[in-house]
Amino acid sequence: MSMLRTIKPKNARVKRALDRREPQIVENEKTAIFVRGQTSSDKVRTVMKDLYALKRPEAINFSRKNDIHPFEDASSLEFFANKNDASLMVTGLHSKKRPHDLVFTRMFDGRVLDMIELGVEELRSMAEFSTPKSSLSARPMMVFHSDLFDTHPTYIQLKSHLLDFYNGHPLTDLPLLNTLEHVISITAGPLSQSDDATTALPLVHFRVYTAKLLASGSRVPRLQLTEMGPSIDFSVRRVQSADEEMMKMALKRPKLAKSDVEKGLGKKRKNIETDEMGDKVGRIHLKKQDLAKMQGRKMKGLKVKKGGAAKTKDAGADEAMTED
Amino acid sequence: MDVTQELADFAAANSTAVLDRANPIITDAGLLAAFDNTPVDPEEYANLNPHLLALTLTSTQALISAIFTLPTKSSGSGPVVTLPTPVTLLPREKPLPKPKPPTKWERFAAAKGISHKKRDKDVWDDEKQEFVPRWGMGGKNREKEDQWLHEVKQGEGADLDPAKTARAERKARIAKNEKQHAANVSIAANAPKPISALRDPNAKPSSSLSDSQAVKQSSRNKRKAELERSMLISKTSTASLGRFDEKIDGEPKVKGVKRKFEPTVTSGGFDGEKEKALGVLKRVESTVGKPKKVKKGGEGDEGGLNVRKAVRFAGKQDGGKGKVVGKVGKGKRK
Repeated sequence: MSMLRTIKPKNARVKRALDRREPQIVENEKTAIFVRGQTSSDKVRTVMKDLYALKRPEAINFSRKNDIHPFEDASSLEFFANKNDASLMVTGLHSKKRPHDLVFTRMFDGRVLDMIELGVEELRSMAEFSTPKSSLSARPMMVFHSDLFDTHPTYIQLKSHLLDFYNGHPLTDLPLLNTLEHVISITAGPLSQSDDATTALPLVHFRVYTAKLLASGSRVPRLQLTEMGPSIDFSVRRVQSADEEMMKMALKRPKLAKSDVEKGLGKKRKNIETDEMGDKVGRIHLKKQDLAKMQGRKMKGLKVKKGGAAKTKDAGADEAMTED
Repeated sequence: MDVTQELADFAAANSTAVLDRANPIITDAGLLAAFDNTPVDPEEYANLNPHLLALTLTSTQALISAIFTLPTKSSGSGPVVTLPTPVTLLPREKPLPKPKPPTKWERFAAAKGISHKKRDKDVWDDEKQEFVPRWGMGGKNREKEDQWLHEVKQGEGADLDPAKTARAERKARIAKNEKQHAANVSIAANAPKPISALRDPNAKPSSSLSDSQAVKQSSRNKRKAELERSMLISKTSTASLGRFDEKIDGEPKVKGVKRKFEPTVTSGGFDGEKEKALGVLKRVESTVGKPKKVKKGGEGDEGGLNVRKAVRFAGKQDGGKGKVVGKVGKGKRK
């Protein structure tokens, strides 16, 4: 924090922009930062590229190397988060000890809430699948398979983390046509019987499919899935769980009146719509134009003086004249 | 060429058949998420990708049916469902916003029960027969400054410029408001926190007026006592201990220690007096023949040498050498 200078707003636009960064009752969607460590591998970079493509447009990609070791020193992560007003971070690293390493970090109030480190074991990137992809900023559906996501603390955290990453911002309304384009499927493997449960955590399979809704004769359509990539097998490495107090703070919900919720939580945007092409369309209501007041050719002689300021100035000038 | 495997894969990819699960799939339509907490079968797991596809198909179908059975409303771009609030709790990005600290006026209004009255930005101008802004460009509050004719009341000097006076008054009002605003800001910044807030740093500031006033009162008393004390100290800091200083109006009276004397005659005889004298004697007796206690920092009995100081002094002298010895080791310098 200390490295960031505090800005005192000099105009209304800056003030509005700063106010938007203040804590809100209804929050904006979390932004994710993708940043590389000092050493990274091709595999890690590909994974980050694909995860970034899925998270866009609420994501920022940094292409330069940074000396970041999230589990050793999180201060630079906090700096990144505060500078960009982002609260999700993905750091890509690669070392002999931990090859093809991804660290997912969540922030709360500009500080690290929790971290989870995943190793990329198997990878087929999005480009390797020659299938149609989901469109930009389409909201994915997310499905989790395995009892571990309910019982094992590490996997519970992972579930919360990934859900927060792609689907954390709840929607109020969902158009049913052409919106449900793809599914992110996360599956944890079975716990191996032979090994000790603490040593070998099963792999986590990350798959993304495009969904095709077919007519079924009833209200609920039938579903057909095609894999679109990326297809990643993660191994779970280090985990830093959240501070209990901090998590409690972060899970606090505002008390909202039901009417406010129905109205769109005070964020109702009137006359602004997004059409099917993804363009923002606004409707403006105009009065009938009064042609008598229309500005014609401007000439010095026809200039109309403004009321207040000009008059007092004139008065001052008159006084000066009389004194002379 | 054997294509049975590829055909099977193709069929699997185009299937819409769902699996039977032991536990029902939990859906959270608010987050567009579904959770299948049936343990993954190790046998099926061996055939990884087709099994994952089948699992995903099953759980997503459950999610889709949960979404499509929600009540819909029609819109220009087809039916729209209103999603329920999410069941799964996810952490917020930032803490809940803190309530704005009340201004002095707001506190007063709350105490008196004065409700807020919304003021429109525009006011009706009878002469112009239209709404004009209350302040700002062409504002109503500048009317007097802009009019070309002023009424001069009796007794007002000929050199009086009514436009100038009106302007000065308006500027004074602005300055006063700014001063009050600054005071409110500084009060909000330095507001003493109630004890409950100190214990729980995330607790909301107390909204009740009496509570905050009590805190304010106590802190003011504290500050007052502190000021009085420092004033008394400064007063007695002259050579004459403030004896010849002028008295200040409302100066606090110095309360010294009152001496107490034993009554010369007691009703119960001389028993008390005797006991007291014996007590003193006992104390004197107990110290006779024993070495005097070495005072901390003072000079002791042991040959007039302050041992503590001497040890410290000696330690300081060869302290540097000791460090040098430490450096010889193979400790890595950071």
